[in-house]
Amino acid sequence: MNYVAIFVQYVSQYIKTRLTYRVDMVIEMMSDLLFQAVNLVFILVVFGHTDFLSGWSREEIIFIYGFFLVPYAIFGAFFNIWDFNERYIVKGEMDRILTRPVHSLFQIILERMELESLFGTFTGIGVMVYAGYQLGLDISWFDPILFILFVVGGVLVYGGIFVLLACISFWSDSRTSIMPMMYNIGNYGRYPVDIYNQVIRFILTWILPFAFVGVYPSAYFLGKEEWYSYAFMTPVIGIVFFTISVFVWNIGVTKYRGAGN
Amino acid sequence: MENIIQVDTLRKEFKSYSSRSGLKGAFRDLFTRNYKVIPAVKDISFTIKKGEMVGYIGENGAGKSTSIKMLTGILTPTSGSVVVNGMNPHKEREKFVRSIGVVFGQRSQLWWDIAVQESFRLLKKVYHVPDHVYESHMNHVIESLDIGPLLDKPVRKLSLGQRMRCELAAALLHNPSLLFLDEPTIGLDVLVKLKIRNFLKEINQKYQTTVLLTTHDLTDIEALCERVIMLDEGQIIYDGRLSKLKSSWGEGKQIEFQFADPKIEKLNLAVLTNDLQTEWTSGNKKNVWVANVVNDEELISEVIARVVAAHKITDIKIHEITTEEIIRNIYEEGVIQ
Repeated sequence: MNYVAIFVQYVSQYIKTRLTYRVDMVIEMMSDLLFQAVNLVFILVVFGHTDFLSGWSREEIIFIYGFFLVPYAIFGAFFNIWDFNERYIVKGEMDRILTRPVHSLFQIILERMELESLFGTFTGIGVMVYAGYQLGLDISWFDPILFILFVVGGVLVYGGIFVLLACISFWSDSRTSIMPMMYNIGNYGRYPVDIYNQVIRFILTWILPFAFVGVYPSAYFLGKEEWYSYAFMTPVIGIVFFTISVFVWNIGVTKYRGAGN
Repeated sequence: MENIIQVDTLRKEFKSYSSRSGLKGAFRDLFTRNYKVIPAVKDISFTIKKGEMVGYIGENGAGKSTSIKMLTGILTPTSGSVVVNGMNPHKEREKFVRSIGVVFGQRSQLWWDIAVQESFRLLKKVYHVPDHVYESHMNHVIESLDIGPLLDKPVRKLSLGQRMRCELAAALLHNPSLLFLDEPTIGLDVLVKLKIRNFLKEINQKYQTTVLLTTHDLTDIEALCERVIMLDEGQIIYDGRLSKLKSSWGEGKQIEFQFADPKIEKLNLAVLTNDLQTEWTSGNKKNVWVANVVNDEELISEVIARVVAAHKITDIKIHEITTEEIIRNIYEEGVIQ
């Protein structure tokens, strides 16, 4: 398929450029790693005071965090659209995108990729393996398949939400601080939802389904049977949200007003 | 010949709100806004045939960019229809843009950080151009635009003129049958301008490429286009041959006299030529008077003869009205015919 060929071309181009800026790449990876370490320390500090959080042990929470890192890293690598409004709408770069024969969202994803972010998947898997070992979890043959399915679902949930947010720019090009806020809310998904009250739990499940990026799929691997139905819904929610977001995007493109010149 | 572009009562309106003044006004704006519908393009219609090179001119804000963006599928029209290359640009955007090339002078199509040839390679994949087509076509383009030595340099290291030539090559990579050029020569020196013009002429002859050119530089249009479409306040005020525009608006000549005697007045001169069709205006220097006459050899000679016989002059010049002046006149008077 042509889109695959274009994707490969962009990736190889990206790597070529990045290799010319080696220092940048190392710094970016280091800062990613540092950021993840800080989050881990936070979890450890919380559990310095208590052994259980609403029935979840420290290792379990660490496991959720590890799982969360994987879809989050992939999302970070491909959905760098937090500055979509400024870069593409206000500066009018969208004009250029729209004169090329490839779907506009796909082009933006390709242009804004940051593949360094993918190293986060290794950290995530590392954290999961450590926590899983501490908990003595068993791995069956289909677990890796489910893991991939859940990760893809999580990426699509994250991507869908952020694409929807980017779509706001098609209707109103005023600046909003909604994107950074959403990054914060996204972090709530990596803690067990039963520590929150009903309203927040509902929001994190159905409105901004960040819980599907962390806690629900992890619950499956941790053997928490009461959450199994949610866990298996992860890919469905991902596909639904992402489909909606692409749909809204396509409508948004027809509302694009262009920058003056 | 077939129509490449067919535009029928095309209209684009923008909704914008006017903000009230002061802090109090800003608070009121939070709750109720005064929306205003501003038409940028008002029901324009025209057709362009295959192989034509058309100049699209107008002042800033006349609706040029907006209409070009509708023709290229970037903006959705409010009403009216556009058919370009047999397609609706907005509805079938991805298929449609394969058949056109676009150069926006103020916006780069190339990737800033990577070498020009890498940009070309990406675009080649994006447009799905087969190798053998690319080779034969692009080698020619690269040669005639003289960008061979620039190919391995990153775009950010190129000068404006170099970059512009690369932009043009990038827009032609898939050999489109229709080329939109928005201010392609803005800020370029004369030599690069000439090179670009010659190249466009060549492409037009070789491939019958249709070209729609917007520019503020009328010499570009004079060099390339036989036909012009002129826009003012979102409407077409002239659509026809450039030569006709010149002949019906630039018929007259101006004879500029500089007199030795500083006391010459308009009356002295008007008396001299009162039986000839002449209008005197004061020139932009002291003692300079200009006779505006129709382009007729006998009349011109007669005016000069009478003036020179009656007064001492230090200088004399005959001007033809330039396209730029014609267009300025048209905009000042608003309508044509």
